[in-house]
Amino acid sequence: MIGPPAWADQWMIGAAELIALIVILTGLLQIGFYLIQLIFAAIALSFRPPVPRGATLWRRYSDQAPPISILAPAFNEELTVVESVRSLLSLQYPDFEILLINDGSKDGTLARLIDAFGLAPVARYVDNAVPHAAIRGFYANPALPRLLVIDKDNGGKADALNAGINASRTPLFCAIDADSILEPDALLRVVRPFIDEPNLTIAAGGTIRIANGCTIDSGRVIDVRLPRNFLALVQIMEYLRAFLMARLALGKMQVLTVISGAFGLFSRQRVVEVGGYSHATVGEDMELVIKLHRHMRDIGTPYRIEFIAEPVCWTECPEDLAVLGRQRSRWQRGALECFSKHKDMFFNPRYGRIGFIGFGQILLVDVVGPVVEVLGYLLVPLLYGLGLLALPWLLAFLSVTVTFGVFVSVATLILEEVQLRRFPRARAIPVLAAIAVVENLGYRQLSNLWRMQGWWQFLRKQQAWGTMTRKGFGVPPSS
Amino acid sequence: MTATLQSLWEVSLLLCVFALLAIAGLLLARVVGERKANKRESLRRQLLPQLLRGEPVPVERSRVARRMAADLTIELAELVQGNDREGFLAAASLAGADAELVRRLRSNAAQDRLVAAETLAMFPPYASAVSAVALSDRNADVRLGAALALAQEGRAPPVGKLVRSLGIGSKEQSLLVVSLMRDLARTNPHAVEALLYDLEVPDTAKLAATDALAESSSVDHEALVAWMAEASEEDSDLRPRIFRALGQLGHPSGHVAILAGLDSERWQVRSAAAEAVGRSALHSAIPRIVQLLADDQWWVRFRAAEALTRLGAEGRLALQRAAADPNWIVREAASTILAEQAAA
Repeated sequence: MIGPPAWADQWMIGAAELIALIVILTGLLQIGFYLIQLIFAAIALSFRPPVPRGATLWRRYSDQAPPISILAPAFNEELTVVESVRSLLSLQYPDFEILLINDGSKDGTLARLIDAFGLAPVARYVDNAVPHAAIRGFYANPALPRLLVIDKDNGGKADALNAGINASRTPLFCAIDADSILEPDALLRVVRPFIDEPNLTIAAGGTIRIANGCTIDSGRVIDVRLPRNFLALVQIMEYLRAFLMARLALGKMQVLTVISGAFGLFSRQRVVEVGGYSHATVGEDMELVIKLHRHMRDIGTPYRIEFIAEPVCWTECPEDLAVLGRQRSRWQRGALECFSKHKDMFFNPRYGRIGFIGFGQILLVDVVGPVVEVLGYLLVPLLYGLGLLALPWLLAFLSVTVTFGVFVSVATLILEEVQLRRFPRARAIPVLAAIAVVENLGYRQLSNLWRMQGWWQFLRKQQAWGTMTRKGFGVPPSS
Repeated sequence: MTATLQSLWEVSLLLCVFALLAIAGLLLARVVGERKANKRESLRRQLLPQLLRGEPVPVERSRVARRMAADLTIELAELVQGNDREGFLAAASLAGADAELVRRLRSNAAQDRLVAAETLAMFPPYASAVSAVALSDRNADVRLGAALALAQEGRAPPVGKLVRSLGIGSKEQSLLVVSLMRDLARTNPHAVEALLYDLEVPDTAKLAATDALAESSSVDHEALVAWMAEASEEDSDLRPRIFRALGQLGHPSGHVAILAGLDSERWQVRSAAAEAVGRSALHSAIPRIVQLLADDQWWVRFRAAEALTRLGAEGRLALQRAAADPNWIVREAASTILAEQAAA
């Protein structure tokens, strides 16, 4: 430590010291929380319920597996929608119905579906339990009794899902993104908590993995490979941390506050009781889970919301900065909207561990996290300029931050490798480890700036989703 | 201060060393694992044809061979049926698969114990070893899996003992219990029926037994329906399931209970009772079912309309009349379901 220069006022030094203390404390809290998550994730994976082998899994669970409606909202997805529906139709599950909801697409999504599957207008008696924009019509083909297309006015993803909920006739519904790929036995695996604890389980989520770089044939991932695009590689590491560490651990603690909109199974009745998906947020998937927690705690009924590592849903991630930036600022905005809307649950004993751990985690990671980190970026040169920070200290703090990030990533890779082993080639391990180091040098800072953009949009009450450009799974991976 | 600074660097160094060692360890494990996998693959190619033909396997009784034989048995035994299975299991035994599976019953990993128990259940001489797992394994999923595997083979322990050991209806709430009861009822229906009259058996277990017995022709359904009718009067969360079972059974002595269910205050019960009306061809309920087309709850209206479509010409006529009802809620339910049926 070197002494402050003569021009630095006392208040400047005091303020800088206070900010430094907040940054360091928040960092320490985050480190502590990540360590706890790692421990819980390891416990969850080590003690996950044993699963019968393939043939037995089908025979045993197919008898008792409850019927499921798969809700797949689609907006301007004419390039991929037919392939996606074919992939969904080939899922291995005894009793399911696909409700593809065309959310007022302006392209040829509906026409492609009608042509490809020989659909014709049909009647459907639907519930009006949750609100949504007007339905224009239903389309089906008696030869494909598992497929129903709902054509409706545009209202956004939450609105489309609500239309699907009203049209579904099963005790469970599975919300997915129309352009995602479910593994053939994903439904059979994710339904397990609903079979094992039918009176308690109200929702379950599975792992989302990134399909960029993988070989996909007829709507199936047949060869898992790493992509060559740097942004996609970084996102693979991020998704591993998010699902194999954070969500698995939070699920084990029973404080899961989000089930990805790309793949989640819900009790229809419980979702109807909370009014379905909310329209006034871009974090509708997170908000639904929080509403379910609130509702179940309010009515005093025991319940469980589970996360299961094995059922996998593959999705395409953005490969360019602009699209990724929009996605990340939207996610940030969604988290802030949920926190703000349900802030009365925060540290409220009435909501037990959800109020303390679940909301504590949102506060630490989503609300305060990016602000403090960006503050740190600004503070370092300031402290240095004020003469309050010597270079050895700066480098030491930086080193701990980076190496701890790498430690968390490597620990997640260990969990992946020991328990799941989804990367068939050994080369993936050092590549992802290298990414865990490199991501700290530029990407992490950029990601925090996108999140600050989300903060700004939240403060300005911006509601737009932004455009998500996808290549589509039909396109072979770049070589 | 210098000590703190040094500690920070030491922490960083420690984290780096951990990361490097972990990555090196993972890679090493991969390399070793791949070599072993290659060896296993060649052994697999050697063993597989003989096992499938039910021929003695010409390999030395090495541990690796036993493990591979056990893995192949786990993978294939259930897929092989009839006489072929007997030959397959005999060849697997000669290759030491059964001994390896017995060893795995003592594994620390629940996954290994479950799969071993499920596979060993197919070997008649090991029924008692798997029964011990079903009754006393420390993991509830392994116990239930072993019990299911044994029941499927018709070698389950006594029903009452099994129900108590598994904690069916108390600790064990899985829907798989219905499958278990169904398999148990196949070989010993009267023991399953006796559960209904056992005061210590929880209602959930009794309901699972009911579902299973409804499919069995070996027991007197009248007594079963009498129990269900009595249970349907109790204010319990199980009532919708009881009505569904009554509908599935379709026995005339259950009709009074189903009619009473249509007037329940709980919509879940009304809906299940309406469904039961359609399934059990309860024509006398048509006037009440038509009234339910105006129910506040969509599920009740839907099940009522669906029930009418199942009640033959009389039901369809009632539905057609309802399609012209002055109440738009009734009209909508009836006309839309009629249109759905026409298109199907």
